Amino acid sequence: MLEYAFMQKALAGGMIIALACSVISFFVVVKRLAFMGMGVSHAAFGGVAIGLAAGVDPLWSAGGFCTLVALGIGWLSRRGRMHEDTTIGILFTTAMALGVIVVGLARRYNLDLMSYLFGSVLAMSWADVIAAAVLAFIALAFVVLFFKELLFVSFDEETAIASGLPVRLVYYGLLATMALTIVISIKLVGIILVSALLVIPGATGLQLSRNYRGVLLVSVLSGLSSMALGLYLSYRADIPSGATVVMVMFGLFLLAMVLSPRRSWMRRFVRSQRQGWIANH
Amino acid sequence: MAGRCRVSEFFSGGAGTPRAVIELRDVWVELDGRLVLEGITFSVDEGTFLGVIGPNGAGKTTLMKVILGLVRPARGEVRVLGLQPGELRHELHHIGYMPQQVLFDPIFPVSVYDVVMMGRACCIGPLRFPTRKDREAVRESIRAVGLEGLERRPIGELSGGQQKRAFLARSLCLETRILLLDEPTAGLDAEAQESFLALLNRLKRERGLTVIFVSHDVSVLARFADSLVCINRTMHLHGSPQEVLGSERLEEAYRCEFDFLLGEGAPRRGW
Repeated sequence: MLEYAFMQKALAGGMIIALACSVISFFVVVKRLAFMGMGVSHAAFGGVAIGLAAGVDPLWSAGGFCTLVALGIGWLSRRGRMHEDTTIGILFTTAMALGVIVVGLARRYNLDLMSYLFGSVLAMSWADVIAAAVLAFIALAFVVLFFKELLFVSFDEETAIASGLPVRLVYYGLLATMALTIVISIKLVGIILVSALLVIPGATGLQLSRNYRGVLLVSVLSGLSSMALGLYLSYRADIPSGATVVMVMFGLFLLAMVLSPRRSWMRRFVRSQRQGWIANH
Repeated sequence: MAGRCRVSEFFSGGAGTPRAVIELRDVWVELDGRLVLEGITFSVDEGTFLGVIGPNGAGKTTLMKVILGLVRPARGEVRVLGLQPGELRHELHHIGYMPQQVLFDPIFPVSVYDVVMMGRACCIGPLRFPTRKDREAVRESIRAVGLEGLERRPIGELSGGQQKRAFLARSLCLETRILLLDEPTAGLDAEAQESFLALLNRLKRERGLTVIFVSHDVSVLARFADSLVCINRTMHLHGSPQEVLGSERLEEAYRCEFDFLLGEGAPRRGW
């Protein structure tokens, strides 16, 4: 399949996207930002619609828009005496409504917009791959450089504030990083499904390890392998790429759940099998 | 860093006489337009153990935040290590803080070692990674609270008492001179409480720490504290445990909790 240029681009872009998403996914899961990820990715609809209507590359319009929405959610939840999920519910629906109005004003059925909703392997250009690489590099650099602060803030924000860490900077940085990661993923995976990439790998990691190093490793490995396998299956069976990647990811998550040392029923099952084996031999 | 020199001057100068590491003079605090603390004045000498008692909603936690510089008083003066709240930001590594309840997720994937290393984060500084010195400080701190051997255990798998020790180790692994503990023994059984207090007392003696311990369990503090402050929005008493506990005004302080709640609404928790 790699003789086709579009698959080369999809695979190169896909790997970059999967790496960035799996790393951010760790924080999405431990800091409970799953709904935030969903909200910001759906808000991208507004950004994409504005970009298409204004003739700007939707990657950039959605990038700016999602970052603003993510920071807006963070700011309002800290200022406005509202819970984070309320703010997310308000801002992401409003952003989508704005997108619908912009599409309506453009007065034509936009096929392009549909491909942004569900993603397409055909959508990635080399320019997109390069843009994804640059933005993913920025996102990963932020995570590496501020890892200990991010970990502390995710674990126990109150003490992190008291010990003088730049908690606000770290929190807004994480939100902006998440927004960038979402934006580079929507062409391939689509607005509707991108939040799966931000939740499932981290959740898979948490099933198999009790330490963040292991969780991160499993998250990245499962993210990369589901992306590769998902793209391959979508090519072979001619089915939508984003959805296939998500299905593979979910399959790996189920597998991790069954194998998880956290689940005592599995341990009991293994033990009883072993004891049965010993008794029989 | 200019601030750092000032703190070392603070500790090196004038040895022999105990100096006040924390001084509050007529401190008034408003949170969302409500008076939470009124006219609080007290000082804490280096190496002493101050117990802060008072009913729920009395402003004890706010008092901690004032000392940490997280809440600015509307009036009055605060000096910690000889510094004003604004200057203290760069000196927070001298202060260990343990919040009332560490609201962490029990499945959060970190070990005891990782949690204690978090305490070093502000000392290491942004964009930098832990060095050997940091790793040694963390191990030393874990030893000091008696959790050696459990370094690699996930924090969620520890007992309540062990978790408290881990959080104590986290607040100790800096160049800690002052420990601010907000009801650290809440939720522990009598035995765990006792051993936590004994540990704290030993650390205080060995390291010359200044300890501020907030609790509403008066009997516990009576045994360990060098002096007690009783607050209920305003300051009611300050003195040795015998003086404070023998005083009739203690009852008065607790009784007005009732008036306070009826008059002002439910107690609040404010950041």
